[in-house]
Amino acid sequence: MAEFSSRRKFLFESCGGVSGLGLAWLLNADNLLASGCADKAPGAVMSAKKPHIAPRAKSVISLFMSGGVSHVDTFDPKPALSKFAGTPLTGKGDIVVRQGHPGPLMPSPFTFKKYGQSGIEVSELFPRTAAHVDEMAVLRSVFSKSNDHVQAHYALATGMIRMGFPSVGSWVTYGLGAETQNLPAFVVIYDGRGAPFGGPINWSAGFMPAQYQGTVFRPSGAPIVDLRPPQRITPEEQRARLDLLEKLNRMDLEKDPNNSELAARIESYELAYRMQGCAPEVVDLNTESPETRKLYGLDEQVTEPFGRQCLMARRLVERGVRFVQLYHGGLGNQNTDTWDAHENVHSNHTKHAAEVDQPISGLLTDLRARGLLDSTLVVWHGEFGRMPISQRGVGRDHNPGAMSIWMAGAGIKGGQVIGASDEFGYKAEEQPISVHDLHATILHLLGLDHTRLTYRFNGRDMRLTDVYGEPVKQIVS
Amino acid sequence: MRTGFLQAMPRRPTLAACFAGAILTAGAVSAQTPVSFSKDIQPIFEASCWKCHGQTIQLSKLDLRTRQGALTGGIHGPSLVPGNPDSSRLFRMVSGAEKPAMPMDGKLTPAEVETIRRWIVEGATWDAGSVQTSAVPKSPPSDLEAGGVAPEARKSWAYQLPVKRPVPGKGHPVDAFLGVKWKERGLDPAAQADKTTLVRRAYFDLIGMPPSPAQVAEFVNDSSPDAWQNLIEKLLASPHYGERWGRHWLDVARYADSNGYEHDFDRPNAWRYRDYVIQSFNVDKPYNVFLREQIAGDEIEHVTSDSLIATGFLRSYAKVGYREKDNPEFRYEYLDDMIATVGRGVLGLTVQCARCHNHKFDPIPQKDYYKLQASLWGYVEVDHPLTSPEQAAAYRKQLDEVNARVNEIRAQIRTVEQPYRAVILAERYKKFPANVQQAIATPEAERTPGQVLLANQVTRTVSAPPAEIDKIMKPEDLEEKKRLAAEVVEIEKQRPAPIPLAMGITDGDYRFTPDGPGDEPAPGKGIKREATEGSFLHEGPDRYSPPPSHFLIRGDVNSRGSVMQPGFLTVATFGEPPVALPPANGRTSGRRLALAEWLTSKENPLTARVIVNRIWHHHFGRGIVAAVDNFGKMGEVPTHPELLDWLAVEFMDKGWSFKQMHRLLMTSEAYKMSSQFTSAKNMQADPENKLGWRFRARRLDAEAVRDSILAVSGALNREIGGPAVFPKLEAEVLTQLTNGIWRREEDGPKVWRRSVYIYRKRSMPFPMLESFDLPDQNISCGVRAVSTVPTQALMLMNDEFVVRQAELFADRVRETQPDPSKRIDTAYKIALNRAPDAKERQIGEEYLRDHNLAGLVHVLLNLNEFLYLR
Repeated sequence: MAEFSSRRKFLFESCGGVSGLGLAWLLNADNLLASGCADKAPGAVMSAKKPHIAPRAKSVISLFMSGGVSHVDTFDPKPALSKFAGTPLTGKGDIVVRQGHPGPLMPSPFTFKKYGQSGIEVSELFPRTAAHVDEMAVLRSVFSKSNDHVQAHYALATGMIRMGFPSVGSWVTYGLGAETQNLPAFVVIYDGRGAPFGGPINWSAGFMPAQYQGTVFRPSGAPIVDLRPPQRITPEEQRARLDLLEKLNRMDLEKDPNNSELAARIESYELAYRMQGCAPEVVDLNTESPETRKLYGLDEQVTEPFGRQCLMARRLVERGVRFVQLYHGGLGNQNTDTWDAHENVHSNHTKHAAEVDQPISGLLTDLRARGLLDSTLVVWHGEFGRMPISQRGVGRDHNPGAMSIWMAGAGIKGGQVIGASDEFGYKAEEQPISVHDLHATILHLLGLDHTRLTYRFNGRDMRLTDVYGEPVKQIVS
Repeated sequence: MRTGFLQAMPRRPTLAACFAGAILTAGAVSAQTPVSFSKDIQPIFEASCWKCHGQTIQLSKLDLRTRQGALTGGIHGPSLVPGNPDSSRLFRMVSGAEKPAMPMDGKLTPAEVETIRRWIVEGATWDAGSVQTSAVPKSPPSDLEAGGVAPEARKSWAYQLPVKRPVPGKGHPVDAFLGVKWKERGLDPAAQADKTTLVRRAYFDLIGMPPSPAQVAEFVNDSSPDAWQNLIEKLLASPHYGERWGRHWLDVARYADSNGYEHDFDRPNAWRYRDYVIQSFNVDKPYNVFLREQIAGDEIEHVTSDSLIATGFLRSYAKVGYREKDNPEFRYEYLDDMIATVGRGVLGLTVQCARCHNHKFDPIPQKDYYKLQASLWGYVEVDHPLTSPEQAAAYRKQLDEVNARVNEIRAQIRTVEQPYRAVILAERYKKFPANVQQAIATPEAERTPGQVLLANQVTRTVSAPPAEIDKIMKPEDLEEKKRLAAEVVEIEKQRPAPIPLAMGITDGDYRFTPDGPGDEPAPGKGIKREATEGSFLHEGPDRYSPPPSHFLIRGDVNSRGSVMQPGFLTVATFGEPPVALPPANGRTSGRRLALAEWLTSKENPLTARVIVNRIWHHHFGRGIVAAVDNFGKMGEVPTHPELLDWLAVEFMDKGWSFKQMHRLLMTSEAYKMSSQFTSAKNMQADPENKLGWRFRARRLDAEAVRDSILAVSGALNREIGGPAVFPKLEAEVLTQLTNGIWRREEDGPKVWRRSVYIYRKRSMPFPMLESFDLPDQNISCGVRAVSTVPTQALMLMNDEFVVRQAELFADRVRETQPDPSKRIDTAYKIALNRAPDAKERQIGEEYLRDHNLAGLVHVLLNLNEFLYLR
């Protein structure tokens, strides 16, 4: 009981910053709070897991560009596309397009330029983000499994293209626990225009208990569904109900004082009450200085929405949230509200890059300035790349064969390009990196060995990386 | 587990694909070079033809490995006429001139077809004497397909037939078996719980809702010796029993109302299967019959509407449902899902682990997986009409007539539109970028290869919207079109009203599946096979035989081994049960019926054990085998193996009756024990209570939480069955809805139905249920997770639905109890089935001094005591 009361004390510490509860508590709480679907009796499923190796980061901010960013127009320059412009792509086998018929090779409508000391080439779409290349590892040989938006989303989110598996955020939360009890450990903020392809399955806990699923934060208003009671219940009334509830529940607990599950449920109400206070505080960006707001592009209409998402991500990470998943692009209108540039890669990508360039640059600058970049892994990616050939003249179709992603923070070695796609950017060629490799790398940076992070489900030790994956070792300095 | 199934990869091995590319590049140059069999043709044959017309198998008795084989041909005659491609079946079928187009599972590139044409024109010579060996699959399938079951593997408890050993001692068999272990371990069993606890326990357990105060009183005041039995009988007779126990089975059946994935199409008839399950429990359908209907309801002796609906079990997989015929490999996933569901759901084994290799832990060779796959292989998705065959035929006939007439007039409309369509298209082309317009403007013969691609992309995909055509039509043509359109409207009036359909399966030939919504291949892509090309459903007069299925080497769709015969798990098969029981009408193979017979045979060591263990799990909170879905090596050994066996045999002996098993288990002393008893000695010896020395208290599952709130508030709409309901969701939640349906229904009695009737949308689980650990709807689940998270607290404290139900609950208390001083008592009795003690009453009264009754009863709905079954 001593431990129990000290935990209670912690709960009443302030919102700001990481509360003192820390990892040990959560791991302990795992045992208290959960038991699993499947194999074992309640209470026996979850076992505490310390990081397997020295972690480089403790939080992740994933920037998911939904709809599929064209690598050959952003982080993977392909001069050969100009040279062979207008001719068919040959010698690569069947050209599998998602829609209609393949077109001829199409040069990028954007110009590329060298940035930073490293001189990594980035297109004119990302001048501000590119200013950070010396802190980024650009992976140009990532490939995925499906040219279908939803399945490709699931692949990035869960490692599987089928439904029913836990997302990366769930695995990370399961492996490391949370650093704060005031906020959910795994937070998702999607585009105000709509949810990403595939919807909530992207942040589901699959076969794991509900506590590992992502919690959606809305960028404005009450950030979490049911965070506040209906208006007819005043704060005083709510507090009175909670007090009455606690009083009656504690009397009940006396009948079965060793029942940790009942004790945990009593606490969950206090946690919820804390969250009710802390969650709005996180999304209230008015406390940020005008300079910071400007840094994230909150002063511009175009950059304001994603700027808010990025600034909220920093605030969440600062307060101990383990995994923040941002989506840019939502359904809405698939053609105009996501990166899905079937019609016109120039207009689509110009629009979307303009929405994210300043916010992403601001996020990296701000994280660095606050000393958070070393402990935070920032990953930027879409669900697949796009075709080097045109679609109906000036668009590009889906291409899971090659995509570019970048990572920054978490002590990774910046200013390096890892892997390469073929001369046209059609397939990953040099050091191909699968989605499983990517996930293994993310876990590795968090101190988790992807082969040892397992969850027993239906008689099998399941892994985020299934039976595949290898961390990209050269990513760390 | 295999994951690469939906890869956007070429459907043929890369070698041939690269080769085709090389031809394309070589272009005009190679036109002068004679085609070489070994260099040009063999790779195509190897990749696309020899799989079915090679060493391993010769479909249609055609062997294409040698020139003689090709000249002789198969059952349809010679396939090759040297010098004359147009007379060569081989060329006609690969070029699409003759149906069915070949290869069955893909399409040759134009370059490959052209190469074959030229090869035939040049005399179809076979320059390679070396063909025979290099032509066959790289390693002999026999090696890769090896794998048997060692005799000692059969000795594991799970594969031995259950035996009913004598009950050790007197009294209730359950208590006798449990008592042995208690004694062995020095455990003191808990005393019986009080009657109020018991009546509440029985209600939650059997119907998933708490009793009303009157129902509690009825039991508590019944001092007859049969009171408990009578209560059980009453609850088993309640139509709500099926809603509760049917839900358990629906978890196993991974039931949902939508397809899943990108489009998440609605399944408008899925609910009939859900109702079938509920009804089956209510009528206590024997489990062997229940299984037989779900696996072979279209093949059994007496096919009924119910048995056809039951086949929805196999069809409840998440489905991509989009350009299916472009991606034939999806079918393997659905089959895998069926095998996994039957495996873990019925047999308690992870059979699906043997898809790519012999099972790593359990004695399941890969070959057994493919035998099971062959047993299911003939399946096709059908919507069974639920009318008499005559009515269905009449409906079909009328429908066909209407469609034929409508199509005829639509064709006339298109003719009238044609000249204007060309104008509109020309206009539309102008909206494309300059390079495209230029390509289209260039005469076809003069287009560069790149321009060909550019032009094709647009000209083959752009269409002219009728509304735009109307705008430019000459008045007389427009008049004509309108007249024709009016005719369509008239004809449409004769379209027969839809007949009720069951979403199920039967046997057929999936290769001829008619296109469903969203199945149309993208223009110029994929293979669109019309139902007319072959027979989707077998019509006779000969007997149906399923299309061949193959052993897949390493589970790879493109690495076919032997043709598989149907069969079962070797380790769990006794004797030689038939692998097909063809029905008299000859329309199906009878393989599924044989599978069902094997599953429900008394000589199947697993089926009865697995289901009695599930029943036990739901009553006692922990299975005798805790891993209810896994009786294999990686699961857990039974805590009471003799009891499990005794129950399994008893279950079969008593007609596979669920209700009999409920009666048996619930009348044991073990079931009636208190959950709050504790003892240091017991906690020391068996802290997890694996041996059942007290009743296992547990949180209500998701549906029971919501249903209990509705039951207590008095708002529950107790209607049984019917299409799904759509309880109100906040607008913010609905933004997560990306596809499929969610009807906007008002919060009110229409949606205050039991939770089993809520629309199960694969891409968006119902939030309240999800937060209380609704299992993932895409994988069969036997044990639900129980988590305790703040979002549950937020939902119960703040959600408009709960707050409103609390207010309705307060109204109910006020209406039933005019005396304000007694309302706390009334509220407790409704929500918790007991009166408050003095202290609780005092605390309640203090609260009511400053706050309203709705607040107090809202708190009751949040109490641990409310949320836990004790």
